[in-house]
Amino acid sequence: MKKIHFLILVACIAIFAGCAAVPPNELVNARLAYRQASAGPATKFAPAELHKANDALVLAEQSFQEDSDSYKTKDLAYVAQRKSQLAGAIGKMAADKASKDKANADFDKKQTEIVKQGKEDLNNAELQTAVLLGAMASDKANKDKADAEIEKQDAEIAKQKQDLIDSDKRTADVMAELAKLAAVKEEERGLVVTLSGGVLFRSAESTLMSSAQTKLDQVANALLSVRTRNIIIEGHTDSQGSDSYNQDLSQRRANAVRDYLVQKGYPADHIQTRGMSEDSPIADNASPEGRANNRRVEIVIEREVQTSSQQ
Amino acid sequence: MRHISKMGIMVFAVAIVVTAITVGCSSAPLRTEASTSEIRAAEESGAAKVPQASLHLQLAKEELETAKGLAAKDEKEEATSMLLRAQADAELAVALSHGDAEKNEALAAVERVRLLRQDNP
Repeated sequence: MKKIHFLILVACIAIFAGCAAVPPNELVNARLAYRQASAGPATKFAPAELHKANDALVLAEQSFQEDSDSYKTKDLAYVAQRKSQLAGAIGKMAADKASKDKANADFDKKQTEIVKQGKEDLNNAELQTAVLLGAMASDKANKDKADAEIEKQDAEIAKQKQDLIDSDKRTADVMAELAKLAAVKEEERGLVVTLSGGVLFRSAESTLMSSAQTKLDQVANALLSVRTRNIIIEGHTDSQGSDSYNQDLSQRRANAVRDYLVQKGYPADHIQTRGMSEDSPIADNASPEGRANNRRVEIVIEREVQTSSQQ
Repeated sequence: MRHISKMGIMVFAVAIVVTAITVGCSSAPLRTEASTSEIRAAEESGAAKVPQASLHLQLAKEELETAKGLAAKDEKEEATSMLLRAQADAELAVALSHGDAEKNEALAAVERVRLLRQDNP
């Protein structure tokens, strides 16, 4: 019986003690909220609000000690919870603001870097453009110069072609003209005009006959149209007489024809003379006709224009 | 007799003053200005558009009504205590509505920096 009474007493004490120790939900929540706020950014960014929350919690705890289950305790605990949450919210807001300010500062810094880099890039690009433009201008100048050179060369080639055409035409005209006056033939050394010695000189003489001058005038007129050409005047004899005599005679006759052509205006420095003696016969010296053909003067009009000196 | 009557007069006067104070206090209207003002501030700061702030705004309004109900039942102390709840919830609603805007602005600023760095490595 005593044991039962003891157990009842213990149970009553335990129940009483348990009831007295159990705080209301509002106070439990307030304590938790305060711990959370203290662990968050409120400590750094909202110390004043956290302090107010602490004061509110202290009031709630005091009320809990005085009257654990009263409406006053619950209301004070509720207010303490809200103030802790308020401190947490303000701390979080301040932290967000700091984060925003830092982000904005980073943005401004990065933007400044970008602008600076952009300016540098622009300057470099302008410099490179200037260099390229300079190089292009130089290339263009060189190209223009080369083009002008090519154009000049083309003009010269065209002129030379035209000169060649004109020269060929003049040569053809001269050839046709000379063909009317004398025997004309194309050889490798040039155009060869053969004048009979019997028409130009008396036998054994090197003075032009007056009748020969008319024919030489016509030949000279034809030759003057190609006066830039070098010509060779060759004197030939038949086989009668000594070699030395024939050599001298053939040279004198060639000189006589040269002097006459120079007198008519053909450039002296474009004329060569050669005494060929009897060494280049074109007919048989055994017959009178053959010897007459061998006595001759040949005017060779060279193909190429060359500077020559008189012999 | 004269002395007694003087003491009696003083006691009577004190009794009248105490009675007057007691009656005055008990019949004083509930001071809801602080709570009402804070609730209005929460509404103007856009608390209704922020879920968490909206919750506390609603709680504040309900607690204000509860306080008025308690006052009407002549439970002045409970009513005054309840008003503290209403004011605390309204203050929290204001802070949460502002905090939401600040948070969004911070996130936007961080995102802006991220995009800038991404576009300009």
